[in-house]
Amino acid sequence: MAFKKSNEAFWWSLFSAGGVASAMFLPALLVVVCVVLPNQYLDDPRASYEHLFSLVTWWPVRLLLLGVIGFSFFHVGHRIRHVMNDLGWRQHTAPLSLLCYGGALLGAATAAWIILTFPAVPQ
Amino acid sequence: MPDKTITLDVFRFQPEGDGKATFQKFDVPYHDHWVVLDALNWIKDEVDGTLTYRWSCRMGVCGSCGMMVDGVPKLTCAAFLKDYYPSPVRVEPLAYFPVERDLVIDMEGFLDKLKSIRPWLIREQEKPLEDGVYLQSPNELASFKQYTMCINCLLCYAACPVVGAEEDFIGPAAIAIAQRYNLDNRDQGEHLRADAMASDEGAWGCTFVGECSEVCPKNVDPAGAIQRAKVDNTKDWYKRMLMPWGQR
Amino acid sequence: MMKHRYQTPMGPLWFLKREGYRRFMVREMTAFAMAAFLVYLLYWLRAIGDGYTAFVQMVELTRNPVTVTLLALAFGAVLYHSITWFNLTPKIMPMYVAEEKIPDVWAAIIMGYLPCAAVTTVILWSVMRTG
Repeated sequence: MAFKKSNEAFWWSLFSAGGVASAMFLPALLVVVCVVLPNQYLDDPRASYEHLFSLVTWWPVRLLLLGVIGFSFFHVGHRIRHVMNDLGWRQHTAPLSLLCYGGALLGAATAAWIILTFPAVPQ
Repeated sequence: MPDKTITLDVFRFQPEGDGKATFQKFDVPYHDHWVVLDALNWIKDEVDGTLTYRWSCRMGVCGSCGMMVDGVPKLTCAAFLKDYYPSPVRVEPLAYFPVERDLVIDMEGFLDKLKSIRPWLIREQEKPLEDGVYLQSPNELASFKQYTMCINCLLCYAACPVVGAEEDFIGPAAIAIAQRYNLDNRDQGEHLRADAMASDEGAWGCTFVGECSEVCPKNVDPAGAIQRAKVDNTKDWYKRMLMPWGQR
Repeated sequence: MMKHRYQTPMGPLWFLKREGYRRFMVREMTAFAMAAFLVYLLYWLRAIGDGYTAFVQMVELTRNPVTVTLLALAFGAVLYHSITWFNLTPKIMPMYVAEEKIPDVWAAIIMGYLPCAAVTTVILWSVMRTG
């Protein structure tokens, strides 16, 4: 039997990093974004915004968000690629990989752009 | 005929016939302690001697009698009629394999895949007899013992959707058995198995559905073996990328 | 000698046939909901950078019943991913302490659930203590 060398290990490592990051952090982020913020806003909207701004623009938090969101994009990209395999797209898979990992890269790049170009003070 | 009977709905196929498969119903005496294999043996002895199937030890160690029982891969020596009674029991050959006759599948493909991972201890230099035995601590044995339990029954192949979809996927048992040797401290052949293991037909073909470990009658956990192979191969890949000088 | 390929072709709905396959597909499908949530998260981050007005708009958008429904589904997906991921981690990386294998249940708690609980507590506490 002849076997072809595979670089799947690389994509799988990104998938795994993203899997851990998303499993650890996304539940909390979802609760923050969907429950805490809309409710907090009710008490003192301006203070709520300024507190959030200072938290999110703090460099350790920025790097954490970038890492979590960036790797999570590759996690979902890899998984979606394999789901499409499982649903029948098994031939001519180059465009599928391009779409999935390209999309992940786009998501990660967008996250980097937003996170690295926050203004210095709340607007 | 005893009081209770149970119906077996059995897959029939003759290669010398018209290439069509049929199902044939048999009313078999029901006994609490009987397994599906007992029912098949009764059919062959009393009703239809042409019914063809594999079996041997009838106690779950030889791996010969694997078949689909109501759509689930099982050892027929371990599938009790009382778990199905009074409903009929559908018996078919293991899924995802070509069928030779009736309930007998062609396992040549599997044997080739098994050979491709070299299921034997490989040493760079064989130790001469005078040097004595290879030492192995209980903990060293424990790290791979689970994977030695495989009886090649192929239930995992019949449960794996990747085996069904990709003909060249070497499959759960082959990878688990490769791990049995890779993790054995006496073996030095991991790099020789890497071509097969690290390919898309090897560990990377697996999408961790996990059904293989669900159906394994010997708790080998091939799914776990495959994921660990992925981790090992990933570490290896990064080592080769980041430190290309030297080593195999 | 003719070999009959008794293999119903794996049509696109093969995963409905067994419970294990169905649970697998649900786990994999969480990726779509998670991808959508990640994009939503990016909109939030951009709003925070853009200013107070944008922030208020995101809060109002989040309060919209359609958004609430979608986010509830996303939450289900995110939780299912976390739970399945933590439960499977000991299979991928079995935990050994001094050559003894830690049982998978404890490994999942130590490597997954506990750190997640800690991380969640820290994040919620940081956001909720309005200065």
